[in-house]
Amino acid sequence: MTAVIADLREVVAELQAIVGAAYVIHRPEDLIVFEYDGSVDKAMPQMVALPASTEEASRVVEVVGRHGLPIVARGAGTGLSGGAVAEEGGVVLALTRMKRIIEIDPEDQVAVVEPGVVNVDVSAAAAEYGLYYAPDPSSQSACTIGGNVAENSGGPHCLAYGVTTNHVLGMEVVLADGSVHWLGGRTRETPGYDLRGIVIGSEGSLAIVTKVVLRLLRQPESVRTLLAVYREIDDASAAVSGIIAAGIVPAAIEMMDRLCIQAVEPAVNAGYPMGAGAVLLVEVDGLREAVEEESAEVERICRSRGPMEIRTAADAGERARLWAGRKGVLGALGRLAPNYYLVDGTIPRTKLPEALARIGDISDEYRLPIANLLHAGDGNLHPSVLFDERDPDELDRAMAAGGEILKLCVDSGGVLSGEHGIGLEKREYMPLMFDDDDLNAMARLGPAFGSEGMLNPGKIFPTGADRTHVSHSRAAAKAGAGAYI
Amino acid sequence: MIDSLDETTGRAYAVDGVIPRFAARPKDAEGVRDALRFADERGLAVIPWGGGSRIGLGNPPHRFDLALDMTGANRILDHTPGDLTATVEAGIAVDALQESLAVHGQFLPIDPPLPGRATLGGALAVGTSGPLKWQYGSIRDTVIGMKVVQADGTITKSGGQVVKNVSGYDMSRLHVGALGTLGVITEVSLKLAPRPAGEATVLARFDRPGPCFAAALGMFRSPLMPLAVTAFDARAGRRTGIVDPPGAWRLAVRLGGRPRALDRQVSESRAIIEGAATAGVEVLDAGGAETAWRALSDFGWDEPRPILGIRANATPSGMPQLVEGIKNMNGAGGLSLAIAAHPAHGTALFSWTGEDQASDDVAGIIDRARGLAARAGGCLVVEQAALAAKSGIDVWGGIAGPESVARGLKREYDPKGILNPGRFAGRV
Repeated sequence: MTAVIADLREVVAELQAIVGAAYVIHRPEDLIVFEYDGSVDKAMPQMVALPASTEEASRVVEVVGRHGLPIVARGAGTGLSGGAVAEEGGVVLALTRMKRIIEIDPEDQVAVVEPGVVNVDVSAAAAEYGLYYAPDPSSQSACTIGGNVAENSGGPHCLAYGVTTNHVLGMEVVLADGSVHWLGGRTRETPGYDLRGIVIGSEGSLAIVTKVVLRLLRQPESVRTLLAVYREIDDASAAVSGIIAAGIVPAAIEMMDRLCIQAVEPAVNAGYPMGAGAVLLVEVDGLREAVEEESAEVERICRSRGPMEIRTAADAGERARLWAGRKGVLGALGRLAPNYYLVDGTIPRTKLPEALARIGDISDEYRLPIANLLHAGDGNLHPSVLFDERDPDELDRAMAAGGEILKLCVDSGGVLSGEHGIGLEKREYMPLMFDDDDLNAMARLGPAFGSEGMLNPGKIFPTGADRTHVSHSRAAAKAGAGAYI
Repeated sequence: MIDSLDETTGRAYAVDGVIPRFAARPKDAEGVRDALRFADERGLAVIPWGGGSRIGLGNPPHRFDLALDMTGANRILDHTPGDLTATVEAGIAVDALQESLAVHGQFLPIDPPLPGRATLGGALAVGTSGPLKWQYGSIRDTVIGMKVVQADGTITKSGGQVVKNVSGYDMSRLHVGALGTLGVITEVSLKLAPRPAGEATVLARFDRPGPCFAAALGMFRSPLMPLAVTAFDARAGRRTGIVDPPGAWRLAVRLGGRPRALDRQVSESRAIIEGAATAGVEVLDAGGAETAWRALSDFGWDEPRPILGIRANATPSGMPQLVEGIKNMNGAGGLSLAIAAHPAHGTALFSWTGEDQASDDVAGIIDRARGLAARAGGCLVVEQAALAAKSGIDVWGGIAGPESVARGLKREYDPKGILNPGRFAGRV
């Protein structure tokens, strides 16, 4: 043990020489804020290093690797699957000082940014050229581009525009040996293996991203948001299917069920009728004429399913109000129960009615309310199991219900995670989707990148631990103001 | 079922003059597994064959013993129109797939060359598609799940059948554009798109390339959302049935949408084009547009006797200069050059034809063109060249990015080096 402690002092000194004494955090009381991310897992790293440049990051990686400690890259710590939790200890490489927007190039419609740049700041910087960065994870006012790359983040508007991997042209990365490379670049095609595409969504386990070239889109000329309110959730599901079947891919289709409405309306006053069974929020954007034509068609389809009410936002203010209800749901769930367990999974969109019915059954079986909030257009479910963690039996039932929902997703032809990642949260569920051969094929990426056991070890892959046991160790999230998925 | 081939029967599967001794034409993933086990046990080098439309791409193989003909595994396993997704076997021809999807008003938004022959798996292994990438993005982005048979015959899957998924590594990215060097793509789940409600193609003529590219970049920087914008010279035009004087350039703009949005896009495209000193602009009828876009997709790969075909990439703003530079290079005497470019995507295709050339002369052209692409911050792939010209170079221009990882991937996924040995970047 003494040898290890001596080692750690040496590591601290070496890292201080690279990034400066102020940017190595190693006292336990200072490390506490790096113990957790947006998920519920916790683990204490041995130290945190905050490099200011690629060169510093590269030297830190080289030094830490030489001492045989694991490295966990971290952005804003808003991740929801434990990706930034240093489960095996080691050094957290916090990239929040690397937050320069290096360049906005309106001619080629790209931005070059450091990983610590906050998502929404890219669009803010691009706005003067009429451009924006499309992926909009719900934590976009806090989460960083580096974290988005690690998790391949989505967002409500990825229905039409795609997720992070569709918007990253190239990246500068540090490999586990400290060497610095470009994967892809400013051009849209690069011959050779698509290492860029492999690293995106690899949860920080293959490389550390130090610069990112992002594709920017032109801001839509026109946006129209429509709210359709239904007595029964099945009618809302049928409207979603009708829209897709009509050959329309709106920018976003969001759905909230009765419980969500009951939670959010008193809190946010978005104008959702309290007695409604479901609210559908559909946003169409693009050319003025296209928006007029498509939103008329969307409205016709929504009307054909017998809504209680349909409203269209006339201006940006009304649009913001309609969205405020959607964005306020998670924060408002605290009005219904002290805790919730937010589940993320995707099903084929045509299976929505059956899946929602089955979630209703699961709610009955486990005697816990489940509020359904979903990116309905792409089948991405976010059921929240409501419970009180002070009652250990409720906690058990909530975790088990969450597991049942994930099984339901996989059984319906869907997947374990639509946008939150696997991390620590879902690694024991991976065998539901993948057999040993599939997982072995994935596990060979680490050795190929030379990052195995060094970069974010322990994430994604099952450890063989009992799922229920793992779930038990994990308290569920407390509802808080501003929580928005 | 492994067939032994002789000199004559083997010729149908020859790659760069190398004739295999065995062939297999499996019907499904299990058949692919059996063929690869056969090869793995004997250390035989395997080249997966699709329709053969672009089999000439790549460095000459180090070895080639077994042709794995994928065209027998060609079923559509699932198409759920309401989900806008489909799962198909990789040996299906692209046109056959599109015809089936069209019945439901949907399509796979890719337009690779020679789609009547090209298989989906082949198009994915090559990794590049046609003009539609302007609007719909890379061919990689259409893949949501994949079943791959590894070099030792292990069947593995990744992704899923839903459009939004971050469950585990995105393994399909390993195989798209990898020329079948890390595994054999056997089944693919795809993200489809609704067919546009209506389409129109605006075709403009220019006296020189400058204004043509200016109009193309004007489209890129406008609020319009064209499906494709392709600039091409008079020689490329002849392949689409357009007869222009030498030196003329054309810009084809493919637009889609509902009636009023389409009308506006047509009129604003015309305005952008007219602002860039056009020598004339017209709107093609549906038949004319179809022919033109097919020819522009096929470009280079429909050439019966190519001397040299290259694909160069640069940034959109670097495109005009790169195209001018390659067009005006010396040393391509006696050959005629045709050019088609997708400026917003930053891709240009160059096809030289004519009398057979000394391989040193062809190598000289490649060398100078590669220098120009590098100066433009881009890169260049030699897609077609005679064996003699290919032999002395790496057609991919070597390994871009970390060489240790490229070689590491090959070591992990094909340790015996039996899949397409030597043909990919860095001769892995």
